[in-house]
Amino acid sequence: MPRKSLTALALLLATPACAEDTLNALVWCDHTDPTLIEPFEKAHNVKVNLKEFEGTAAGLAILDQSQPGDWDVMVIDSVDVHRAVEAGKLAELPADKLPTADFFPALVMATNNTVDGKTYAVTEKFGYNTISYDKTKVDPKDMEDMAALTSGKYDGKIGIYDYYLPVMGLLALGQGIKTADLNADTLPKLQDSLTALRKASKQVSDVVSSQTALATGDVDIVVGGGEWLTAVLAKDNPNLDWTIPKQGGLRWSQSIAEVAGTKKADLALEFIQYIVSPEGQAALAQSSCYWGMPANQKAGDLLSPEAKAVLRWDQQPDYIARSQLYPIPDAATDAKMQDMWTAMLNQ
Amino acid sequence: MSIASAERKLGWGLLAPALLWTAAFFVVPFLAMLALSFAHMEGRAIVSGFDPGNYIRAFTDWSQLKALINSVEITVTVTVISVVLAWPLAAIIAWQVPARFQRLALLMAVLPFWTSYVVRSYSWLLVLGKNGVINKALMGIGVISEPLALASTRTATVIGFVHFFVMLLTLTIYANLIQLSPNYARAAQDLGASRWATFVHVILPLTLPGVITGAFVTFVLCIGDYITPQILGGNTELTLPQLIMLQMGRSGNFPMASALSVVLMGVVTVAYAACSRWLRLDRL
Amino acid sequence: MKLLGWVYLALGYAFVFLPVVVLVVFSFQDGRLPVPPFQGFSLQWYEKILSDSGLMTALWHSALVAFISSGLALLMGFLAAHALARVRLPGSVLMRGLLIAPMTVSYLIIALGLLTTFNQTGVKLSLITAGIGHVVINLPLCFAIAFAAMGDHQKNAERAARDLGASEVQVLWHISAPMLAPALAAAFFLSVTFSWDEFIIAFLLTRFEVTLPVEIWSMLRSGLSPATNAVGSLVFLVSISMVFLLEIFLFRRVK
Repeated sequence: MPRKSLTALALLLATPACAEDTLNALVWCDHTDPTLIEPFEKAHNVKVNLKEFEGTAAGLAILDQSQPGDWDVMVIDSVDVHRAVEAGKLAELPADKLPTADFFPALVMATNNTVDGKTYAVTEKFGYNTISYDKTKVDPKDMEDMAALTSGKYDGKIGIYDYYLPVMGLLALGQGIKTADLNADTLPKLQDSLTALRKASKQVSDVVSSQTALATGDVDIVVGGGEWLTAVLAKDNPNLDWTIPKQGGLRWSQSIAEVAGTKKADLALEFIQYIVSPEGQAALAQSSCYWGMPANQKAGDLLSPEAKAVLRWDQQPDYIARSQLYPIPDAATDAKMQDMWTAMLNQ
Repeated sequence: MSIASAERKLGWGLLAPALLWTAAFFVVPFLAMLALSFAHMEGRAIVSGFDPGNYIRAFTDWSQLKALINSVEITVTVTVISVVLAWPLAAIIAWQVPARFQRLALLMAVLPFWTSYVVRSYSWLLVLGKNGVINKALMGIGVISEPLALASTRTATVIGFVHFFVMLLTLTIYANLIQLSPNYARAAQDLGASRWATFVHVILPLTLPGVITGAFVTFVLCIGDYITPQILGGNTELTLPQLIMLQMGRSGNFPMASALSVVLMGVVTVAYAACSRWLRLDRL
Repeated sequence: MKLLGWVYLALGYAFVFLPVVVLVVFSFQDGRLPVPPFQGFSLQWYEKILSDSGLMTALWHSALVAFISSGLALLMGFLAAHALARVRLPGSVLMRGLLIAPMTVSYLIIALGLLTTFNQTGVKLSLITAGIGHVVINLPLCFAIAFAAMGDHQKNAERAARDLGASEVQVLWHISAPMLAPALAAAFFLSVTFSWDEFIIAFLLTRFEVTLPVEIWSMLRSGLSPATNAVGSLVFLVSISMVFLLEIFLFRRVK
């Protein structure tokens, strides 16, 4: 029996590869929604293999352990594109074949997506890391000031989003430090507020656990949250809200890029073009894992008024003006930030 | 060729597949990991060499050491609670339940074993949450007015673990109890021992091998588990496996993850040495 | 005292069954969150998961990996146990220790070691690499169970067969295996259970094709949903049906 089954196993594993063309994509969880991927698969008769990862370091580590050609496209924090390019992980994209003219101007992010005049990635989605809350359980006015979080009033009712860059960026804003000025010298100034925030909070958790905790009432506030956290839940729990406090908020943005060494450059480009097309953008904006603003303004025509309201489509100019990009730490600062974060988790 | 040497040849031949498999996919990987644990990171690059830095960090950096302490604390708590809860359960099934229902009673006691492992922790999340079944029920009957903070705590992790291991230990202790001849107890009582003395000095020691074996398995499985603390603990503290996954998954620091794994193995070895006297792993 | 015993037993069952009952009840939830209040009875989540091709493929992968890896583990474990029980070999205690050793090591460490090795040798992760890991964890189990089951009674029968001129393969196939059938079946199904439900090795050693626990894990990570309850309940139903069938047709008879 084992030999026969082994043959069956070998056949089974071999079939998908020969039957149709495949595209291997290293992505974040919002890309795993079938409503986003299936139209592309049908139109091009390909199978898109998706592998999720969290954080740029993990993504680059996966690429380090792979051979050229293993991966075709990847999703990456826009602010980390330079890091990936320096490591030689990304391939150049033909800038003239990307619809960046239709984008929100602030989201073209040429300084991030372009290195030495060559385009390596294109922004696909963005949003804010600020403060999400249940407006029936906290005073919305308090949420306009970050200091309220550690005032004692909300002890044990706060959840922290488990990603060090946005949360430490927010804390920097709370201290009056610009995210761009976050480095080895300014970092220690965050230690006290990080410790204080952790003391006031109940849990530190990933995207979905944060959503769950807010939806089930385990926490009333999520620091680092934003539309990406509350939009998915808006239908079930209209009491969830988010705001950018007076100290400001962080703007996240993710880019999509072609992985260096891909043997399917054409297909990879077509996939990227699909993702930044109005159709792809509308699906990505309302993906089941988390929502976010599409970078391409033309996606607006395909979004329902309700979806636009949830995403705060009309307030974008104001929000973009009041938010700063993620910190871009150098390797040493990054390691230090991660260590501070681990220490905070285990406080 | 003598019969003995032909036999020996055959013996080696039969052993070879298992030995080679274990060598190739267990011993070699472990050595590779051990070697990697002495490497270090320069930026994103792994630089191999003989650098004990990762181990020094594991024991001197509080955020790393704390994970080890948390893991040991949780594991010991879980093991003790599970044994204390499972022993009477096994005893009642072995001694009080009529013989022809015993198998059924035992099967029922371990039935939830067959829920999927990931799902099991998840369902405890639903039970223990702020709006979960327990809080709703207790508030419904007026025992508490404010929901208990059960989810995302160490208590939740411990409850999730104990649930699993009570089932496991009930099995191993039951297996041990059922082999005990009632004559021992009768003899002790005939010699004038009280019921309590019989229990403490005769029955308990006789079940020790089963208890210790079960407890050791509990210890090994519990201290190496990632899912239960990850789902139920809410990242309010880290256990060693969570830290290992963080070092690997988020930072891509394979050398540190390897070193922490070796430390984890060290702890298990210490536990093994502590109870090796009573262990009968090959008789599980 | 007796009453106390029954009460304890009842409480024990209540504790053990609590999460399972909650899991199953809220799989029928007519709403988007599997927490109280129960909003009504609905089968929509079962419909959803049964039409989810990713989930069904993962189910098939899990079964494939479980049966093949357990078959391999049983075969190698049985042969090794036979050799060590029958033939006097130098260092047999050491070898027994080596074969049992993976049992005392956390799955996470086995997975990490294999991952390191596969990365360094450029082996691509797939269901096969996960299957290799599952053989590593189940081999000791199969070996130990087979070894423990080999008694004098069986040794005598083997010797008799050999004296009558049976070849070693014939002895193994016609005498040893049938005599040990209950133990071997138990070892096999225990292995299947472990492999079927194993998470961390499958998580770290697969890439695109994943097994059911890994698929459930990513489901969990994409939101709290009664669909997860439905998968859990379905898997539970299948597993206990198997347990009861085995209990009735296999183990009851040999007892």
